[in-house]
Amino acid sequence: MRRVAVIGVGVTQFGRHERTSAELFAEAAVDALADAEMPAGRVQALYYGNVVGGETEKQLHTGPQAASVLGIPTVPTTRFETACASSHAAFRHAVMDVASGTSDVVLVGGAERVLNVPTADSTEYFAYASDASWEQTLGLTFPGVFALVARAHMHKHGTTEAQMAAVAVKNHKHGVLNPKAQFRKEITLDMVLKSPMVADPLKLYDCCPFTDGGAALVLVSEEVARKSRRPIWVLASAAASDSMLIGDKRDLSRVPATERAAATAYRQAGIGPQDVDVVELHDCFTIAEIVATEGLGLFEPGVGGLAAEKGWTSLGGKIPVNPSGGLKAKGHPIGATGAAQICEVVTQLRGEAGPRQVEGARRGLTHTLGGNTATVLVSLFGRD
Amino acid sequence: MTEDTPTVTLGRFFEQAREGTLTGIRCGGCGALAVPPKALCPECGARRWEAVPLSGEGTIDSYTIIRVAPRAHADDAPYAIAAVRLREGVSLLGRVVDVPLNALAVGLPVRFRPIVVKDRSAVGFGPA
Repeated sequence: MRRVAVIGVGVTQFGRHERTSAELFAEAAVDALADAEMPAGRVQALYYGNVVGGETEKQLHTGPQAASVLGIPTVPTTRFETACASSHAAFRHAVMDVASGTSDVVLVGGAERVLNVPTADSTEYFAYASDASWEQTLGLTFPGVFALVARAHMHKHGTTEAQMAAVAVKNHKHGVLNPKAQFRKEITLDMVLKSPMVADPLKLYDCCPFTDGGAALVLVSEEVARKSRRPIWVLASAAASDSMLIGDKRDLSRVPATERAAATAYRQAGIGPQDVDVVELHDCFTIAEIVATEGLGLFEPGVGGLAAEKGWTSLGGKIPVNPSGGLKAKGHPIGATGAAQICEVVTQLRGEAGPRQVEGARRGLTHTLGGNTATVLVSLFGRD
Repeated sequence: MTEDTPTVTLGRFFEQAREGTLTGIRCGGCGALAVPPKALCPECGARRWEAVPLSGEGTIDSYTIIRVAPRAHADDAPYAIAAVRLREGVSLLGRVVDVPLNALAVGLPVRFRPIVVKDRSAVGFGPA
């Protein structure tokens, strides 16, 4: 297999937009191609993530639509849907395409538009990623899924609501430093703890927002990468799945798919969690960040809450997590999220993250979770 | 096309649930107990399921109270959903009914209760 590198990244402003998801993707892709100094005519394939376009935009076949709006209508295009992990799944397949020698230059990205519909509708569309017969019928929501995880984690490890709130405070603090973030204001522990309950014990400020946005990156073979100014190498890209039904999960305080994807990724890269300098992970809810830091091996099981509370995951801490502000403050345009996380880690490893730069970062990790913890992608990156 | 039909289809599980019985499937290969429908045993890969009635008695593993609901369930909110570990070892997600929201707790004993949510048969749990 050939070595693969990211040589260009682009992310739109996250927040509310009055443009289609395809337009948002095209904006990010134009930026990524310019960043890579790569003419669009050299792109040989598009790997695309989009989740609820069928509902919010009444649009299927969003892959070719995105390619057409970008202006590369004839390249082979595939749209991936693994709920919130969609564009990270797209990325993994793009890596395999280039590593196998099939393509030399591919585009990866995703986009989502959800703020054009009322919250009750987007809540319902997101719940379509849980089982229709067993879970949607009960009125289970995504905050509900992670509330079950939170309660189990609190019961098993003594994790507190204040520790979960510390994750939100930290990610909002990071988000202030990211000009593309949806929320650029600091919040206090008290604001999180006093915010309205969404799904006990998760409160409004434990939850990431609904977001419109797009992200894209240019992925190339080693030969092409050597001619670019600052390639960031893909050290690993791994996927893992788990039972779809919440009832089939044996220990709700853990996300086994994260543990399996991380183990595969570390093995592929020949490194361990202690070698990682910067992490962008899937903090769709504050508890999700705590459980992910444990599943990725950054902390022992049960220590994730303490790590957030003590500032070990803050910029300047032991292992900075979500310097972009994470899904919590940067925003979560679900189809774009995985690609946007990769764009942030590439920016960090290039040393171009400005005030939110993790000093001296050489290796980075991205982690994206989809659905009822049934899909997880983990990728590792390194600079020369 | 195989002549075998699944031991318990999804439709049949919920028909029986509506009539008051929870039905599990037990693997004839390794004895693993599972919630239907599954074609192959996730433990041993066998395709020899046998339907077994479940007691419906269990305890709450985790729970939440949904306060911001999907549009279709908005008029039910707030409502409780719990992951319940049955005596036999399998677990099921269900709505908790007739238990005060402030009495919910991990470890609380509950018992299966057939419920209908928006005209569809669903799993519910009430006081033990």
